[in-house]
Amino acid sequence: MAAVTETGAAHRRRAQRLTIFAMTGPAYLWLALTIFLPLSAMAYFSFLTDAPFGNKQAFLTLENYRAFFQEDFYRTLMLRSFRLGAEVTFYCFLFGFPCALVLAKTIRGRWREALFLLVILPFWSNALVRIFSWTMVLRGNGVLETLVNWILPGTGPLNLMFSYPAIIVGLVHSYIPYMILTCYLSLQAIDDSLIEAARSLGAGRLTVLRRLILPLAMPGIFAGAVLIFVPVVGSFMEPRILGGRNGTFIGTIIEDQFTAVFNWPLGAALSFIMLGIVLMILLIASPALRRMR
Amino acid sequence: MTRRRISLPAIGRVYLGLVLAFLYLPILVMAAMSFNSSKLYRLPIDWSTQWYVALAGNDKLIAAGTNSLIIAVVTTIIATALGTAVSLVFFRYRFRGKAVMQLLLFPPITIPWLIIGTAMLIFFFWVGIGRGLHAMILGHVALALPYVIVVVTARLHSFDPTLEEAARSLGAKAWQVSWRVTFPWIAPGLFAAALFAFAVSFDQFVISYFLAVPGVSTLPVEIYTSIRKGFTPEINAISTIIITFSMALLLGVARFYRFGGER
Amino acid sequence: MLKRFGRTAVGLAAAAGVALGAAQAMAEEIRVLNWQGYGTDEPWSLEKFSEHTGISVVHDYFNSEQEMLTKLRTNPGAYDVVLINSAFTRQAADEGLIQPIETGKITHLNDTSPGMRENANFIIDGKTYAIPWVWGVTSFAVDTTDFTEVPTSIEELWDPKHAGRVGWRDDAVEAVMFAAIATGQDINNPSDFDAIREKLRALKPQIRTFWSSEDEWNQFMSANEFDLATYWSGSASRSKTAFGLPVEFVIAEEGAIGWLDGLSIAKDAPNPEGAHKFINWMIDPDFYVAWDTNVGAPASANEKANAGLPETSFNRAVLGDSEKVSKVQFMGPMDDALREKILTLWQETKTYYQE
Repeated sequence: MAAVTETGAAHRRRAQRLTIFAMTGPAYLWLALTIFLPLSAMAYFSFLTDAPFGNKQAFLTLENYRAFFQEDFYRTLMLRSFRLGAEVTFYCFLFGFPCALVLAKTIRGRWREALFLLVILPFWSNALVRIFSWTMVLRGNGVLETLVNWILPGTGPLNLMFSYPAIIVGLVHSYIPYMILTCYLSLQAIDDSLIEAARSLGAGRLTVLRRLILPLAMPGIFAGAVLIFVPVVGSFMEPRILGGRNGTFIGTIIEDQFTAVFNWPLGAALSFIMLGIVLMILLIASPALRRMR
Repeated sequence: MTRRRISLPAIGRVYLGLVLAFLYLPILVMAAMSFNSSKLYRLPIDWSTQWYVALAGNDKLIAAGTNSLIIAVVTTIIATALGTAVSLVFFRYRFRGKAVMQLLLFPPITIPWLIIGTAMLIFFFWVGIGRGLHAMILGHVALALPYVIVVVTARLHSFDPTLEEAARSLGAKAWQVSWRVTFPWIAPGLFAAALFAFAVSFDQFVISYFLAVPGVSTLPVEIYTSIRKGFTPEINAISTIIITFSMALLLGVARFYRFGGER
Repeated sequence: MLKRFGRTAVGLAAAAGVALGAAQAMAEEIRVLNWQGYGTDEPWSLEKFSEHTGISVVHDYFNSEQEMLTKLRTNPGAYDVVLINSAFTRQAADEGLIQPIETGKITHLNDTSPGMRENANFIIDGKTYAIPWVWGVTSFAVDTTDFTEVPTSIEELWDPKHAGRVGWRDDAVEAVMFAAIATGQDINNPSDFDAIREKLRALKPQIRTFWSSEDEWNQFMSANEFDLATYWSGSASRSKTAFGLPVEFVIAEEGAIGWLDGLSIAKDAPNPEGAHKFINWMIDPDFYVAWDTNVGAPASANEKANAGLPETSFNRAVLGDSEKVSKVQFMGPMDDALREKILTLWQETKTYYQE
């Protein structure tokens, strides 16, 4: 009897392993071919003195990683980039979460679907085109300045373009649909009767929000935050175009290593340091979040 | 006091309207500028349809747009299918290596696309995959996968696994459980993930830029390279057409198909 | 499952490959790698070229010299003609990315200016690796509505009068070269990096923004963001003729940066015959005069072509002035170590610019 159940369990385990393998295999094989193997090559480059092209000799070295600790400005910029990532994520949450809440809990019927799609649709336009549109809005003699001066004559130039706030505006605009979308998916799954029960037991609106809605929406908030924070840290296109003189970040510096000089090793080393810090932050953040749930 | 209860949803709607206004401001500007005959986007607008006429004669931009569409559709289908399978496994099973597999999803979105693009170009060159539409699809699917997995997993977390067990205990087969119980629940997540995958691919320029062969490019590549020459309003024109078309398409879908589900 | 998946992927790849092959196998063609909108892709000229030779021209573009080299390295046999800045020609030849040109087939070669034809970067071990095509000057241009008199000194960029009104290009080599000129140094071999660092840091209150493309420059100038901005000579003439902007290009008395672009033939080019024909077509005075008159172009390396321009044209009036041109320092090849040092200096300076 005992033997039978044991083989049954073993059989189930084997079946489970097979299912896991069959279902995740294709995706991870795909990722291996297109991301992990190419990135391993890059990781190898980051320990070389020169990119292995042409007739130059390349040697193994730690120099590229040491450069990060030797030059102060790399650290200054790394910090700046993580600050940018945190701020953009925060603003996306601040403005995106209430939006998702309204969508999921107060709008009903077909309107909800339509509005939800309207929120994601800007995503389908080209990012570069969107950023260029922002330059037309924010720049001197641009749309916003003309509008403000038309409503309030004599306001004069606003000087919004080429500043840190301009970068924030552009990035929040680009990434806020992620937050709205993931929060919406979590919020929509919360049973309305739960909220009603809490209300009928005398919980105030704020208490319901803090003790019920926010914890239940945590997976969505976290997913949104990851999808925003991670790419914003490495962004270079938006800061370059909207930030002007104030648009130097670690992403732009890495881009320079690839486009202005042929220093892939240093560029790759800086990216892997950035990736390391991002993963560390995610690792620290995820147990804390799990406890909150 | 009674007024407050009525006004809260109203405030919500006004707020939603403001967020939408913010989201659409640059898109409206883009559309307006596509009708502005000034190449330097001077204000006030000098209305004209000359850029649409120019666009109609621009075979290159239209061909690039078609390529983008093909790549995005293929990418969306593959990435959504593969990504959903992974999400289901992550949700249903606990197994060794799961944490590592989850961590491995982050490099594609963390490492700047420029570096991934360069790495892909070299690697594909080494192993003989080369460049072209097939290489672009390979790259786009890889970039879209993490987004699909994150979005679908977030939706699954709100799913009650006892529902699956209940269905099983009532004698449903594995595929019936997936199709009749799990799938309807995660459908909104799938739909959202597909929208994401499409957006990621349709908007992707760095990877495409490295993997395009001369003569076969995509819309973002055309836009990106044309910046040096001049960001012509023709680009605003084609972007306006695309956004109008997709808006009509999606709203049509919303009209006939309820993916959000009312409970 | 896995197997089926694999077959689908292979099938997809094959379908894509067939579609590509069918589109490309039609007629004789050549492939050109260049900056977009930089002469070789003018449609009216390509139409005529195709009528004359039966060759159609396909373009691929790059956005930086490093990217051009990377594309050549990773796509052997994909390109026929490639545009290379003379400062990079030797490196491309050393890496075996380009092949010697049969000069006998380039009938217009003898009309080019001897100084450029025999440029030390173009001729390596007696073999010609590039044909001089166009050249120009990097200096600065002013908005004439903001100036009563066109300035003559590079110090104008540092004048507090123009605080927050200067446009600058985010390019390490160019930035350091400007500072080298302003501090009286050799642009190709600056010795006093501390002086350059100080000079660049002094720009902090001046810079309105960095510009990265001609189009951006035109838009910023048109929106009155700049009093003056660094610029390229050929682009300045385009801004004047094609966009009607009130700008004047200045070659300062302290000097300016000169550059020369050559056309080369890629190693293992699929159609070297067509490549030679195309290069010859590009340095033909007929093409150049039409390009400069209708669109606006940098100065031609072909003396006959320059002579064919109207007297008032920018390229004859400004770049024909030998006294001014004598102040121009031409960019030479630069080794990687110096390039890296310059980039680090510029990145450090940009970090200093952040509030």
